[in-house]
Amino acid sequence: MFNQFKSFKTSEALRGPLHGLNDLNVLNILNERLCGANNMVEIQGVSKSFHKTVKDNTTEIKALSDVSLSVRENEFVSIIGPSGCGKTTLLKMIDGLIPYDSGKIVINGKQVTAPGPDRAVVFQSFALLPWRTVLANVEFSLELRQLPKEERAKTARDYLKRVGLADFENHYPHELSGGMQQRAGLARALAVNPAILLMDEPFGAVDAQTRQLLQEELLELWQRERKTVIFITHSMDEAVYLSDRVVVMTPRPGKVAEILDVPLPRPRVSEEVRRDGKFVDLTNYIWESLKHAMENHH
Amino acid sequence: MNSRFGSNVLSILSLAILWEVVGRMMDSTLIPPLSKIGAAWWKLLSSGKLLANLGMSLTTLAMGFLLAVFVGVVLGLLMGRFRAVEHFLDLYVNALMSAPTTAFVPVLILWFGLGVESRIAVVFLFAVFVIIINTMTGVKQVDGVLVEMARSFGAKEREIFFKIILPAALPAIMAGLRLGIGRAVKGMVTAEMLLTLTGIGAMIMQYGSAFATDSLFAVILTILLVALVTMKGVQWLDRRLTGWKAEIAIE
Repeated sequence: MFNQFKSFKTSEALRGPLHGLNDLNVLNILNERLCGANNMVEIQGVSKSFHKTVKDNTTEIKALSDVSLSVRENEFVSIIGPSGCGKTTLLKMIDGLIPYDSGKIVINGKQVTAPGPDRAVVFQSFALLPWRTVLANVEFSLELRQLPKEERAKTARDYLKRVGLADFENHYPHELSGGMQQRAGLARALAVNPAILLMDEPFGAVDAQTRQLLQEELLELWQRERKTVIFITHSMDEAVYLSDRVVVMTPRPGKVAEILDVPLPRPRVSEEVRRDGKFVDLTNYIWESLKHAMENHH
Repeated sequence: MNSRFGSNVLSILSLAILWEVVGRMMDSTLIPPLSKIGAAWWKLLSSGKLLANLGMSLTTLAMGFLLAVFVGVVLGLLMGRFRAVEHFLDLYVNALMSAPTTAFVPVLILWFGLGVESRIAVVFLFAVFVIIINTMTGVKQVDGVLVEMARSFGAKEREIFFKIILPAALPAIMAGLRLGIGRAVKGMVTAEMLLTLTGIGAMIMQYGSAFATDSLFAVILTILLVALVTMKGVQWLDRRLTGWKAEIAIE
């Protein structure tokens, strides 16, 4: 509740410099928040510490502290923060890969205890199996879901086509560029038809031009497939361009500094959006916010 | 590949010519010219003596090596996957890895007698530790992100093992097998010379003490050939199983 209120406050705070956000928009957002419409992911006061042992000396490292966040169905939410703020840890906890110490993560009314078929992760380092072809890599996720063999190949080919890799199904990952490898990673995640796509700095390891292309392709895919996306990034313009909301986190221990609405209409055309005054203002605002969070920390 | 093959042929040819020339100039039984060795080799081959002994030796080699592969890979996988197993065993594996295996021959005679079991045990001991250590290292070096990815898509322990750990560790396992087969050949000859005079080991001892150097060299060259062929065999298997890795290495 506190968190939602905070989000509303920040949108209001943004009303000054961002001319596009009129009172009607604010009312809509407020209305939606108060009704708690269709929250797919509920993160409530989650904390996490790691124990590091060096020569019998165990120190506790607090990675995340009292993080709360709700994500609605079909919403695209980016989480941005300085390196080591626990964004990836948070994503892994949402996926159920690592347990949290306190608080609660609830997806569709069910508390997360392990990875489930409603979620799929796109990894920063692609995590493709080097001994499998692109097709077999996409089939991997379907294999684990016990799909029959013919159906596996059919579904995998279908998703390879959607990410533009139809002609590369027999290539091995090392024969592909970073951008193409991540397309395969995306196809593998989409192939299991998850409700929630968890993306961990997916475009962090590719060059700048490819990155922009992949962002555009991702938005197009998202527009068609309508998934709930939680997207980790440390790029401010990537977060603003892609998202409905941007969550700014503080340095370790990671806390939610603020949650910002992105008042840009969809569908978004990259060239236009990036020139838009609201885009520039919001990107600058996030930079200020990050800087503020980092200065307060030291 | 082609230029390498050419270099190999050139290297063998020049050594053969040098050997022949030196052998003829020395005119002594210590270094018989290659042609005489070839004649002796042909005589051993056509009499069936070489093949009979070689067959006996290779049977020992195959049994000892296959046993070493099975035990080595299983123990290596367990030690790589479970820290408790590693801590329980690594002391012995490391000690036995560096210890001269020949020193255990008397013990093996006491345990297994002078039959084929002892020779198989020697081959096994020569080969098994390097396979264990390579397999274990391979398992430990598996990229954690791949395991995490599999787990995230709902893989169970068994699936993680067979679909991630095993294929990812395969190049290291095959490297262990390559080193292991070389050691196994050494073990085979050692056992035949030290334990019971059988197989090609026995032929070496026999011709050596009779100063029949042309036959002696014929047997030694046969052993080199066996070592080369078995090694190539394992390499072929390696390329078949882990071709993806070789391609990465080339790039």
